[in-house]
Amino acid sequence: MGHSGVARESAPEVRITDAEFERFRDYFYRKTGIRFEDSKRYFVDKRLIQRMHQTGHESFREYFAFMRFQASGKEFQELVNLMTVNETYFFREEYQLKCMVNALLGEVLHHQRPGETVRIWSVPCSTGEEPYSIALYLLEFWDRIDEVDVEIVASDIDTQALEKARAGVFSRRSVNHLPRWILEKYFEPLAGGYHRLCEDLRTCVDFRRINLCDPKDTRGMRDFDIIFCRNLLIYFDEASQRQAAETLYDALKPGGFVLLGHSESMSRITSLFKVRRFEDAIVYQRSI
Amino acid sequence: MGLVKRAKEDQAAPSKPHIRKYGRDLQGLLAQLHDDQVKARRWAARDLAAHPEAVSALCERLRVEPDPTVREALFGSLLAIGTEAVVEGLIPLLRGEDAGLRNGAVEVLRQLPDAVGHRIAALLADPDPDVRIFAVDILRDLAHPQAPGWLLAVVESDEHVNVVTTAIDRLAEVGTPDMAPAIQAVKDRFPNEPFVGFAVDTALKRVLGDG
Repeated sequence: MGHSGVARESAPEVRITDAEFERFRDYFYRKTGIRFEDSKRYFVDKRLIQRMHQTGHESFREYFAFMRFQASGKEFQELVNLMTVNETYFFREEYQLKCMVNALLGEVLHHQRPGETVRIWSVPCSTGEEPYSIALYLLEFWDRIDEVDVEIVASDIDTQALEKARAGVFSRRSVNHLPRWILEKYFEPLAGGYHRLCEDLRTCVDFRRINLCDPKDTRGMRDFDIIFCRNLLIYFDEASQRQAAETLYDALKPGGFVLLGHSESMSRITSLFKVRRFEDAIVYQRSI
Repeated sequence: MGLVKRAKEDQAAPSKPHIRKYGRDLQGLLAQLHDDQVKARRWAARDLAAHPEAVSALCERLRVEPDPTVREALFGSLLAIGTEAVVEGLIPLLRGEDAGLRNGAVEVLRQLPDAVGHRIAALLADPDPDVRIFAVDILRDLAHPQAPGWLLAVVESDEHVNVVTTAIDRLAEVGTPDMAPAIQAVKDRFPNEPFVGFAVDTALKRVLGDG
């Protein structure tokens, strides 16, 4: 059968049948919007079997019932964490950055008063790759950056990540997707394959510690035109997703946009936002 | 022009300073819930999530609130409070004519397994088949160990074909092989309903594990 080493070492060999895979796939899709193609079968089976062993279940049926009816939802969240890959690097999901400069900012300016600052929020910003990517994209690929003021606020709950973000030193892996000319223009090479972002860019992003689920933290976050909130909501339970969506809605100006991760869907959480399909990406918009 | 940063002293405050019309305590928020402005009502609805004693006021507001964004905030706060009082306040909405309110109530109720569990049997015995279908909809995502048993009881005994086929559809996901005879028997109970056969066959494939 050739499943994971975990399966062979720690327990009798377990097999996920086609019907069980289908059952899990449908459930997971309904709950998260993530659909696994048949080509992902090995990936899914391996992780399911891993969790079955770790929770002491010998059959898929037992494990599925345990996960499905657990009131806390913890086991489901464990699966979400295992089935999704959370990593950050410069220009990740670049099509959304393209969408920002090719479509979103034009609409934002159309509804702005002359001289008004465009406000962008990156949440969670982790170690800074996302907000700095936004800044780089604006500087290099938006032809109106010289006419308009843009403020980038970046927040995370993790203060250590924020410290790293402010320091602006990134590994080779982090900058791997950047065009070479951008790397040479904005970064200083350091020992060990690290790169430091130039000071001008490091100081232009406003980093703040904010817990998206804490109303005290988010109350001051208002009047944003665009929010990048990628690969966060998927890790929340449903009540928290709903609260976070309310917070994002109230943080936006009327007509403002939210960009989620590619495997996330706002429509599954709330009907507050309108779905907009642009050439480069699907984006959620607060009504004007 | 270009990338700019707001001055430190401006960061803590909301962008536009304003004078508060209402206090942020329970009484102030309850008054604000009836403000003329949508934005004010939304903020009141959101902030009342911190006040479990506001459940009845939130539910009453749902019945008359015309704005969908305020409704979302009302439902969100009720979910965050999540007590049995919330369940009692939302169940009457299942009987209403407003589909948005009914769906919103179902969405919240299915996320409150501990609070809603003891009301399921009564909802499944309701004389109105629509209410029974909503109860089955709640069971679809209710993280409660009795959910498959409740669905099986509907399949075995409910007399309305739409209620039964909805339950069969839900059992396709959570049913076990020992439920197959009860599902199969539905074909005989509703011999003149062609779509029943399809629903039964689809569910059996899943439940028996050969689909």
